[in-house]
Amino acid sequence: MAIKVHREVLSNGLTILAESNPANVSAGIGFFVRTGARDESSRESGVSHFLEHMMFKGTPTRSALDINLELGNLGAQANAFTSEENTVYYAMVIPEKFKAMQELLSDMMRPALDPEEFTMEKKVILEEIALYRDRPHFYLFENAFKDYFGDHPAGNSVLGSDESISAVTRDEMKVYFDRRYSPSNIVLAASGNFSVDEFLKDARSLCGGWVNFEVERDVSRHQSKSVYKEFRRKNLSHSHAVLLAQGASAQDEERYALSLLSNILGDSSGSKMYWELVDKGLADSASFDSDERDGTGCVMVYVSTSPSKLDEVVKIAKGIVSRPMDFSDDDLERAKAKIVSRIVLDGELPMGRLMSLGLEWNYRRTTTPLSETISKIRSVSRADIERALEKFPIKDWSEYRLLPE
Amino acid sequence: MITTHQLANGLSVIVEEMSHVESASYDLLIPGGLVCDPSDKVGAGLILGELIGRGAGSLSSRQLSEAFDDLGIRHGEGVGSDRYVFSGSLVSDSLPRALELVSFMVREPHLKEDEIPNIQSVLLQDIDSLNDNPARRSMVELSKRYYPAPYNRPSLGAADGIRGTDRSTVHQLWKQLFSPRKAILSIAGNVRTSEVLKTVESLFGDWSGEEVQVPSFGAMPRNEYFHIESDSSQMQIVLASPSVRFNQEGYYDGKLAVSILGASMFGRLFVEVREKRGLCYSVYARHGSTTEYGTVTAYVGTTPERAQESLDVLLKELHGLKGTVTEDELDRARTNLKASLIMGEESPGARAGSNAQDWWLLKRVRPLSEINAAIDKVTVSSVDAFLGAHPFKPCSILTLGKHALTVPTGLTGEG
Repeated sequence: MAIKVHREVLSNGLTILAESNPANVSAGIGFFVRTGARDESSRESGVSHFLEHMMFKGTPTRSALDINLELGNLGAQANAFTSEENTVYYAMVIPEKFKAMQELLSDMMRPALDPEEFTMEKKVILEEIALYRDRPHFYLFENAFKDYFGDHPAGNSVLGSDESISAVTRDEMKVYFDRRYSPSNIVLAASGNFSVDEFLKDARSLCGGWVNFEVERDVSRHQSKSVYKEFRRKNLSHSHAVLLAQGASAQDEERYALSLLSNILGDSSGSKMYWELVDKGLADSASFDSDERDGTGCVMVYVSTSPSKLDEVVKIAKGIVSRPMDFSDDDLERAKAKIVSRIVLDGELPMGRLMSLGLEWNYRRTTTPLSETISKIRSVSRADIERALEKFPIKDWSEYRLLPE
Repeated sequence: MITTHQLANGLSVIVEEMSHVESASYDLLIPGGLVCDPSDKVGAGLILGELIGRGAGSLSSRQLSEAFDDLGIRHGEGVGSDRYVFSGSLVSDSLPRALELVSFMVREPHLKEDEIPNIQSVLLQDIDSLNDNPARRSMVELSKRYYPAPYNRPSLGAADGIRGTDRSTVHQLWKQLFSPRKAILSIAGNVRTSEVLKTVESLFGDWSGEEVQVPSFGAMPRNEYFHIESDSSQMQIVLASPSVRFNQEGYYDGKLAVSILGASMFGRLFVEVREKRGLCYSVYARHGSTTEYGTVTAYVGTTPERAQESLDVLLKELHGLKGTVTEDELDRARTNLKASLIMGEESPGARAGSNAQDWWLLKRVRPLSEINAAIDKVTVSSVDAFLGAHPFKPCSILTLGKHALTVPTGLTGEG
């Protein structure tokens, strides 16, 4: 089922992607802003995510309550998320509500940043930071990435800290917005049951007046390093370990080979890690992932187990990744089947397509039909994985552990 | 097109043909679950649920896993409070093989003794790790105290029950519970009903077993306050209150009332607790019902110094709903519920699940038009009548965090 992706770039640089499928009963729409924690200065730590919240808190013509109630009136399943490199605002609606949803979401992209709302929302963000402080593995991930990436901004914290959020001002947020939310740094995408012509026409009138300016991002590759660090916390029931090493970026062709390798070695079921660690009852969680980012990337081993077993579990996990080519042709074919099936199943729903359209554009300035992605995965050979490992040998790990005090 | 069928052995089969997708999904529900575990071995069902996937029919544990993966079948085998669930999503060509693998697991599991210690170890780790997720822990702890036995059994099992389970317990459970009598197999997606039925008949037609007696639900509880001391950054505040049962008069009144109260973004709790006061990141209320019971649960997570105010606002909104619901609020809740039903139509997984659930609760599958008509019948005055009969009080409250809170009088404190 090949469905055409329409693309238009407005004169202010906003890219619009539209993939319409009348067989769907819903439609998804989203703004994908190529900005996140890695685009913040240390003083601004957490401001991308805080701003994402503020986008729901009023525009020149709508109050925060207006936005909440309107989303309710549209029956929209709307949300937003912020990562190290993307901030995404999206909604799913039934087709009759698509036009109104597009108008609302476009308006939200020009926020009022009302000072009173800013003060109130700051409290919500501090609560969100407290919430994640109670989740130990999250704490470890954040600290591990921060240390591993070092001076490179890819390791910046998405939430920021109590200190950085308490200190940031409304005007500093506005400066950040004015530096990052240029239409040329944003993709508007839609997928599902909607009229492409109407969508494009409305996008021109709703977003065509946004003023364009230059936006930059440091997309250099980070310097990998090899360190060992332990973090300790009170009242910890479980211990966790994260291992990081240089991996493929979101632009590197080797990403296909590495994603297959990570499936073989560390998928949540049926992988080497699963059979050696979870199936044997040694760890309750064990994975190996390829974490591809803009211009850089890493591979990651994560294990979680009781404190007394952590040494043994890490040793076994390291053993598995130290022999990455130790798999059969059947293992490779099975990994392909798993990945292809996931792509097909996710691609069937408008939300799945919406996310891959918008994020792929942000990373690679292109749109790839599902069939082409699938054939790229199917064509990966052992030799391709060997070649990828020459460039990214997945060794010289940095190791981070979280243990009870 | 949805059709329902029953095999001679009692297995109900529901098939929904969806022409606009390429995938298919299945859901097999078998009555049983944790409520059927021996009372001193709560968690035995979890071991059974896991063991079933570790070798069945002619396939070893690894071969079975590989057989699913060869076809990229996304599958899951789980144990709920009153049922065992086998579900999967796949490209529709693979459906016959997927169902064959399910039939192996259900009918011919190896239940090998030497796998049990490994499973026990992971399940015990799961229980331990609950401490590292206070929000989830608070819900588990409340359910333990709120529901009558055996429906109060923790979804992760009990540590001593898991430790005490041996191969014979598991085998006995499987023999007793895994029966087609009241089981439901629901399939949706790009399939042809006649072919599906042929496959199902050949795989499950000669499956036999006795009818399973799932314990019935005892008297509804309780009106108590519980506090669990914990040195976490946030306080967890959860409460539960009896509501209307599924398909009882007023079911959609209750569902919409709780949406007006607790929906994300536009619900009163979100607006009053988070938006206007900035007291929390996460706050919600939910309505859950089976044919046996209905429950409203509400949650807020906040830092200790703001916990009392959060609880006070939460209770004020909960108890202040009656007589104050507006037409606008009801319309909004109605629109959202209907939109989510329409959007749910799209995915074979959601369709297979909801058809199975309908059959489980009603012994029939409701057309969307019937659900919409029931939703349309709800008015502001019918919501008020519902709230008169189910005022969300008394309720049980549980807090988990640095200190106990002051709760309304009338709740027995455990402290």
